Amino acid sequence: MSNSKALIQTIDLHKTYKTEAVETPALNGVSIELHVGEFTAVAGPSGSGKSTLLHLLGGLDRPTSGEIFLEGVALSGLSKDQLARLRMTNIGFVFQAYNLIPVLTVLENTAFVLELQGVVRAERIKRARKILAELGIEQYADQYPSRISGGEQQRVAVARAVVAEPSIVLADEPTANLDTATSHELIDLMRRLNEEKGATFLFATHDSRLLDRVSRLITIVDGLITEDEKKHDPSAE
Amino acid sequence: MKAAIRHLRRNRGRTILTLLAVLIPVYFLVSMFGLTNSIVSDMFETATRIDTGHFQIRHIERRGMGAAIPLMHDSKSVLAALDKIDGIEWRTVRLDMPALASAGDRSQAVYVQGVIPEEIAPISSIRDLVVKGTYLKNGQNGAVIGEELAALLNVGVGDQIVLLGAHPETGLGALKVPVVGIYRAPISAMGRTVIHTTLTTARRLARSPNAATAVVVRVSGVTGPWDVGKIEAVTAQLKGLLPDDVEVLDWRKLAPQVSGYMAILRPVMIIFAAIFFGLGALVVLNTLYLSVMERTRELGLIIALGASRWRVMGMILTEAGLITVIGAVCGALIGVALAWIVEALGGIPLPGAELADYMKVVGMKPVLHMMISWPQVVISAAAMVGVAVLAAWFPAYRASKLEPVEAMRYVE
Repeated sequence: MSNSKALIQTIDLHKTYKTEAVETPALNGVSIELHVGEFTAVAGPSGSGKSTLLHLLGGLDRPTSGEIFLEGVALSGLSKDQLARLRMTNIGFVFQAYNLIPVLTVLENTAFVLELQGVVRAERIKRARKILAELGIEQYADQYPSRISGGEQQRVAVARAVVAEPSIVLADEPTANLDTATSHELIDLMRRLNEEKGATFLFATHDSRLLDRVSRLITIVDGLITEDEKKHDPSAE
Repeated sequence: MKAAIRHLRRNRGRTILTLLAVLIPVYFLVSMFGLTNSIVSDMFETATRIDTGHFQIRHIERRGMGAAIPLMHDSKSVLAALDKIDGIEWRTVRLDMPALASAGDRSQAVYVQGVIPEEIAPISSIRDLVVKGTYLKNGQNGAVIGEELAALLNVGVGDQIVLLGAHPETGLGALKVPVVGIYRAPISAMGRTVIHTTLTTARRLARSPNAATAVVVRVSGVTGPWDVGKIEAVTAQLKGLLPDDVEVLDWRKLAPQVSGYMAILRPVMIIFAAIFFGLGALVVLNTLYLSVMERTRELGLIIALGASRWRVMGMILTEAGLITVIGAVCGALIGVALAWIVEALGGIPLPGAELADYMKVVGMKPVLHMMISWPQVVISAAAMVGVAVLAAWFPAYRASKLEPVEAMRYVE
């Protein structure tokens, strides 16, 4: 693990989902640090709490207790609108499914976060085209999501996640719906972005194809971290 | 905006439903306004052309006059005052008084209007309504009566009738006058009761050589009952010019049935508008709410990517605004086009003699017209857009309050 200042730090994170009759604990005291340039996976069986952890780190949900710091900023002190702004500027998301806005073209989907940020049209189109070209999917720029394959849609989602150069990309089961070949292509793509652009990735996954390629593997079982293994440090290369 | 258009195109069925929910109320309202404007205008024209003028100058009301109007003996000073002001289209002196008309053993209570024939034409259309005989000539001793009265008294042109006048100020007067013309009244009650004679004849009946009951005035440029401001502008100029013992009464006081109808019409139209708009708004709310429900995951994704709640609300309201503006404009245009077609075809004749007779009783033509008022068209369309966007506020608010994680897990 790097000695640099943590990009994300969590302290004794708890999350319990409550319904009228039942309380379901999802996280039971998770404390981790993530650093710039890491390519990390949170692995664990279904229901272990890995997606919950990602949602909390991404400011999509709030912990029951504990604290999250993103670049030194405590998320608990932020309002909903401030959290939305933080997600817009600091975090890129890749979800398992339903990743793209169906009425926007690939180019418009890619540029969507830039549009939210208020980047002028010419600039956001230029940047979106550039990232699409880098990821080898420029030819789909004017297509709607429904006209391209699932693997291509995930590539577009990755393009959208990194186009605004966020502090970290959080990817929840990004390869779950993809066949083996497409999964490898997507993993290669993200690895390349990590190595060439220094993009920081955190995955929630139990896909062994992806787990084999990460530099750090955090294992979570029943809402607790059971293992935190540094496999490979890209910055050391 | 581009995304809003694409969403609307993607859900064509729902978009068309929303469009119709806005279009139909606006179209109905524009058409209803067109019809009621025409009806009110008909009633106004009938009342002001045949009887009241736009305003009258009369002697101040006195007690104990019954159905009689107090007599003025100095109408010249009133005419002199009118000559000093602007905006008068025409004016004439008239003497109206209650009387009993009889022929043989038949009689009928009537209202004699003594007029100056050469002056009355621009003010009263009764000259054009004569269907038998002729209208009066200056100084002629004669009477023009309605078809209904002619039938009641069983008289025709050339027959004599006896008028027995009874004015509280001058007592009884009796005259034998020949029927010179019979008119077809637009209102059956009028045909039964209103008799035109010359002013000279009426003064003989009233046994007062200078008497008049009113100076009847029409104002330039008045196109309908909505032009009250023009009439008030003219009457305001008369302040200080008229003798102290006279007063100005405008058509609203002289024809209370017309102003009463208009007073009823306004709340009725508001109730209709509220019903139409309410139904339209409910459909807009329902379709947009369904749309938000269907797009819960998409909206969750947009929120997850960092869109503020205002932006999400703005997206939904932009869609609502777009579809309602298109629907309202189309509804207004269809309503206006229908009015143009109706007018080009000369109006819609009412089917059946009974309905035509009823229309005549209330002073309206048996042909329906549509009179479009652009301010009403714009207000109808704008109000519907406002109500529909207001209705869209709830689904938009719900969309903005979605929790991204829950929304993205949402299964339809």
